[in-house]
Amino acid sequence: MLWVDKYRPKTLDKVTVHDQVAQNLRKLVSEQDCPHLLFYGPSGSGKKTLILALIKQMFGAGAEKVKMENKTWKIDTGTRTLEIELAMLSSAHHVEMNPSDAGFQDRYVVQEVIKEMAKNRPIDAKGKRAFKVLVLNEVDKLSREAQHSLRRTMEKYSASCRLILCCNSSSKVTEAVRSRCLNVRVNAPSEDQIVQVLEFIGKKENLQLPAGFAARIAAQSNRNLRRAILFFETCKVQQYPFTSNQAAPPLDWEQYVSEISTDILTEQSPKRLYAVRQKFYELLVNCIPPESILKKLLAELLKKLDADLKHEICHWAAHYEHKMRLGSKAIFHLEAFVAKFMSIYKEFLVASFG
Amino acid sequence: MSSDIRKWFMKTQDKGAASSGAAKPSGAAATEKKKPVLSIPEKKPAPPSLASCDHDPSARRKTSKYFGSKSEKDSDVEMADAAAGRSTDKSAAKRKLQKGNNELKDDSKPLPAKKMTKDDEDDDGDDDFVAPSKKKTPVKPPPSKKPKVESNVEAPGRTTGTDDGEEEDKMDEDAKTPSKGAGRGRGGRGAAATPGGRGRGGGGRGFMNFGERKDPPHKGEKEVPEGAPDCLSGLTFVISGTLDSLEREEATDLIKRYGGRVTGSISKKTSYLLADEDIGGVKSNKAKDLGVPFLTEDGLFDLIRKSKPAKAPVDKHQSSNGSEKLQKSQTKSSPARIDKRAEASAVDKSIASKSNVTSASDENQKAKKIDRGSMQWTEKYRPKVPNDIVGNQSMVKQLHDWLKSWDTHFLHSGQKGKGKKPVDNGAKKAVLLSGPPGIGKTTTAKVVSQMLGLQAIEVNASDSRGKADSKIEKGVGGSTSNSIKELISNATLNYGDNRAKHPKAVLIMDEVDGMSAGDRGGVADLISSIKISKIPIICICNDRYSQKLKSLVNYCLMLNFRKPTKLQMGKRLMEIAKKEGIQAQENAMEELAERVHGDIRMALNHLQYMSLSQSVVKYDDIRVRLNSSAKDEDISPFTAVDKLFGFNGGRLRMDERIDYGMSDPDLVPLIIQENYINYRPNTIGKDESGVKRMNALARAAESIADGDLVNVQIRRYRQWQLSQAACFASSIVPAALMHGNREVLEAGERNFNRFGGWLGKYSTTNKNIRLLEDAHSHILASQQANLDRETLRLDYLTLLLRQLTDPLKTMPKDEAVQKVVEFMDTYSLSQEDFDTIVEISKFKGHPSPMDGIQPAVKSALTKAYKQGSSSRVVRAADLINIPGMKKPLKKRVAAILEPVEESLPDENGAASAEADEEDSSDTENNDELVPGDSKPKLDLKSDKKKGIQVQLDLKSNGNDSGGKKTPAARSRGPGSGGKAVGSSAGKRKR
Repeated sequence: MLWVDKYRPKTLDKVTVHDQVAQNLRKLVSEQDCPHLLFYGPSGSGKKTLILALIKQMFGAGAEKVKMENKTWKIDTGTRTLEIELAMLSSAHHVEMNPSDAGFQDRYVVQEVIKEMAKNRPIDAKGKRAFKVLVLNEVDKLSREAQHSLRRTMEKYSASCRLILCCNSSSKVTEAVRSRCLNVRVNAPSEDQIVQVLEFIGKKENLQLPAGFAARIAAQSNRNLRRAILFFETCKVQQYPFTSNQAAPPLDWEQYVSEISTDILTEQSPKRLYAVRQKFYELLVNCIPPESILKKLLAELLKKLDADLKHEICHWAAHYEHKMRLGSKAIFHLEAFVAKFMSIYKEFLVASFG
Repeated sequence: MSSDIRKWFMKTQDKGAASSGAAKPSGAAATEKKKPVLSIPEKKPAPPSLASCDHDPSARRKTSKYFGSKSEKDSDVEMADAAAGRSTDKSAAKRKLQKGNNELKDDSKPLPAKKMTKDDEDDDGDDDFVAPSKKKTPVKPPPSKKPKVESNVEAPGRTTGTDDGEEEDKMDEDAKTPSKGAGRGRGGRGAAATPGGRGRGGGGRGFMNFGERKDPPHKGEKEVPEGAPDCLSGLTFVISGTLDSLEREEATDLIKRYGGRVTGSISKKTSYLLADEDIGGVKSNKAKDLGVPFLTEDGLFDLIRKSKPAKAPVDKHQSSNGSEKLQKSQTKSSPARIDKRAEASAVDKSIASKSNVTSASDENQKAKKIDRGSMQWTEKYRPKVPNDIVGNQSMVKQLHDWLKSWDTHFLHSGQKGKGKKPVDNGAKKAVLLSGPPGIGKTTTAKVVSQMLGLQAIEVNASDSRGKADSKIEKGVGGSTSNSIKELISNATLNYGDNRAKHPKAVLIMDEVDGMSAGDRGGVADLISSIKISKIPIICICNDRYSQKLKSLVNYCLMLNFRKPTKLQMGKRLMEIAKKEGIQAQENAMEELAERVHGDIRMALNHLQYMSLSQSVVKYDDIRVRLNSSAKDEDISPFTAVDKLFGFNGGRLRMDERIDYGMSDPDLVPLIIQENYINYRPNTIGKDESGVKRMNALARAAESIADGDLVNVQIRRYRQWQLSQAACFASSIVPAALMHGNREVLEAGERNFNRFGGWLGKYSTTNKNIRLLEDAHSHILASQQANLDRETLRLDYLTLLLRQLTDPLKTMPKDEAVQKVVEFMDTYSLSQEDFDTIVEISKFKGHPSPMDGIQPAVKSALTKAYKQGSSSRVVRAADLINIPGMKKPLKKRVAAILEPVEESLPDENGAASAEADEEDSSDTENNDELVPGDSKPKLDLKSDKKKGIQVQLDLKSNGNDSGGKKTPAARSRGPGSGGKAVGSSAGKRKR
């Protein structure tokens, strides 16, 4: 088993990084009533861990017995019948799902599926909880319509059901939904905290950590704890005992994106744009989410960019990211961003160096 | 300077100057010298002027402004004007005449002056030239085609005559010109002076040249001359390279308008190669080989201009003006001149005679007019004998042979059953004619049967052709309504007995491809009819690849009709026009044939309609008329994109662009997106650094991205009114920014638009996401990790891959395999997941993760994994072969397979109830909606014995299981949930 899973805290008591949050959550639950919750924070900060621990706290070990289902829901929209397929992870007490998987039909998932589930009270009332929990992941990717449908559900069925929403950015969740939830911000752990965790794991695994090694990995992980642990293990797989200057190999896709950024910076021509498009396709085909590509690409470009241009480029990156979200064909927007960048950068080069 | 020229030209036209030697038209002004000029003074036949005046499309005089710098649109318009002018010709004629007279008065000095001004050289040339041509005239063979119509007149030798003349000319020329490339310059356009070829006013034109390699350098600067109608008839041109002032399309139009023909490649029949520069290509080489003379654009203009029947005096004046200018420029005696002159003389003659003819035939026509009945021409001229059928003669022949031998094959061959086998000598009992509408399929069938003395019984879409009463035997050939059936069966039954009384019959099933809509079982019935039929059956359809006809095709002899060529059709149309007393130009008819895309019926309808208002049909009439009522044609998305991105894409009208963009609103934007990078826009002008092109690219890309947004609105929110906006943003704007020449970006790529790559990548992406989702759900089901798919891809995958492949690379085989299999088991990863992980970690240009793994190790891994599979815990819903079920499940089963030990103790009432639910849904998978569930359960239990532990997830406590299952269970209730039932228990289509 990977360390990242092996050392994931299973209960609120064992949570180390966000112990304050964990304590509060425990108190919240022990008071018998639990509001809807919205966990938000960057990825790798521990939201999911907290949620799982919280559920366990609420329902005990029964919540750990989960099963995985792929369900096909048939939804009658009036004019036609949709078939929506959703994977859900359910235990006796909770159901976890990712409604944004339904793409632009997520509205129906919320309207029909979630409502359907929320409506039904749990059969056995003898348990201590009279409600069940619906965990919805990636709510920030839900369309606006779906979020609107969600808010009524949250009020109407609050007697039998609690929602736990999980997302990266609360700004993409509508105000209405946010105000119905207790918002729990989960910060990215600081590098010190990450180092602590790594050292803890190292101790458990009986590893010799050279000085500064954990700190370097923490820095490389960009304050993403999960990534840090994965890097750590990658290093272990790659070479053990560790050498003092050992660094984790970069993630495959990040490496590819930084190659793209080098391509763009070295030559700005239609030919290069075409080559870049091929590389984008390569990434997309390999299931890399376009937002991550754009974000990483921007970060890479900014590293080597003249300060004068940074602001403008950031503006355009944001512009195209927004459009990408509104649109459906990500490659068009990625390409448009690169074309824009090339055009600006080339103009800049010609202006400054002839 | 150009304005001078224009003025000059215009005058000429007004005057309608034509034949006189004075009429040297083209004389360009300053730089240009008019070389060809002189020519045929004496020879001009008397008749021309007046008669031709009528035809003279003088309405078309376009001002240079009008014409300048624009696209074919303008020329269309212009054409329209011209046509309009022409149709009102008669009424206007008087006016024109008056005008002409006035002008005549104005410039009556002319002739002599001009001659004097010419240089000696010119004179020499002229003399040389004129002489032979005169001599030649008598020799000329009698009329070629056209003359047929007007046979009473001595028609000028058109093609042949000219050719002869030319050959001789050429010889002359050879003799005269010192070999050298003089030929090239030949185009009257001051070739001598400017080696560049394009030479007319060196300095002034630069401004138009930028970027656009293909644009004529003096676009719109020259006035297009007018000439006598048909002055080019019988001549065949091939256009090569860029012309001086005309777009190719314009030149083609011009030539066609005057009765010439334009072909794509050089052959012996080619009269001229029209080229202004760019010698050395395939065409020009071939032309030299074949001795085809070259002609420049100016030369062409001269030809046309000269042909214009004119009043001599007028010309003279004109020419004197011109010739002064001419003097300045050096005239090299280039071969072109000679050609032109020769040509001119020939043409003049022909025109003269023609105009006679015209007037004569006009009279005829009037007489004939009375004859015209009200009958539709399409009926009236329906072919009566097979030979009348235009084109497809071989098909007609085949059909004929087939019909003829039908009896022998299927009736008199002794064995009755023989015919039922389609393999019978390769002969089939029925025949299927296919081809586009209007090319005479039905007619062919009828005519041929008629010729063979068969009685044709036609059944078409207007008859009900549903399956007849289930007893086809009752009505032989009777896939038809009862009356028809009876008819046929009678005919058939009687056929053998009293042949004398009853003609043999043939069944023509028209429009079979329209059959299955309302006619249930029609095709199947038709087939069975064919099998037992005792008469031949001819089926007719438009699309032989239609899905509906697939079964029919096996029983039929396929005869595929093609569109007749425009020549074939033109000929036939001419005949008809002649019979109807319409004065029609041959190439007008060909144009008509082309415009209707081979649909003779439509052509005739047009013709008939036109005959109501005009008795003379010219090329321009056809153009104008069919511009609006052109037969709609499907254009492929590629054609549309080619047009939009084409070099002249900038000149398309907006409605044309929208038409192209909307021709396939899904594919066109994709192809545009795929290819816009490849174009070097011609709108940006000079662009050394490439910045401008990059800017254009960025704007185009932005617009394409906008188009995507609009498209989302359309699709997701059904805002179809935005279609045009989407088309605009995703196709038209990028095309407008980027149109130009296509470049190749990748070595080895063909320089054609690629098909949009998005669709393919999108489907691969989706496939991979699905595979990843499988792996993801396996991992989730292992309960070792809880992560989302994105995290799996972005963060976990690198390490997972290492854990899976590194041991294989570094460690000894058995140990490695052992370790990897263990790891896979921990996360419930299957062999497929392993492949998935490897697959989506591959990046082009990076080493494959599988590099360095010995095949032996790989197969050892597979083997080891398979070995463990009997005891393996696969916890995820998956495609499972459950022993005891006949076929593998098509859908995923929600069941989780658990080791027996764990699950058995847990099993209690609630759990088994749940199991029942699962089972029943499993059953449904197999399409048996068995309400009870005991049986599948048994299966499952028996499975356990067999060692593959198939067990539903019963892990949870009895208490919990109710709650856990609730969602699905409840959803079986009424309402939408109810529908979810069948599959809600979670299987999944793969």
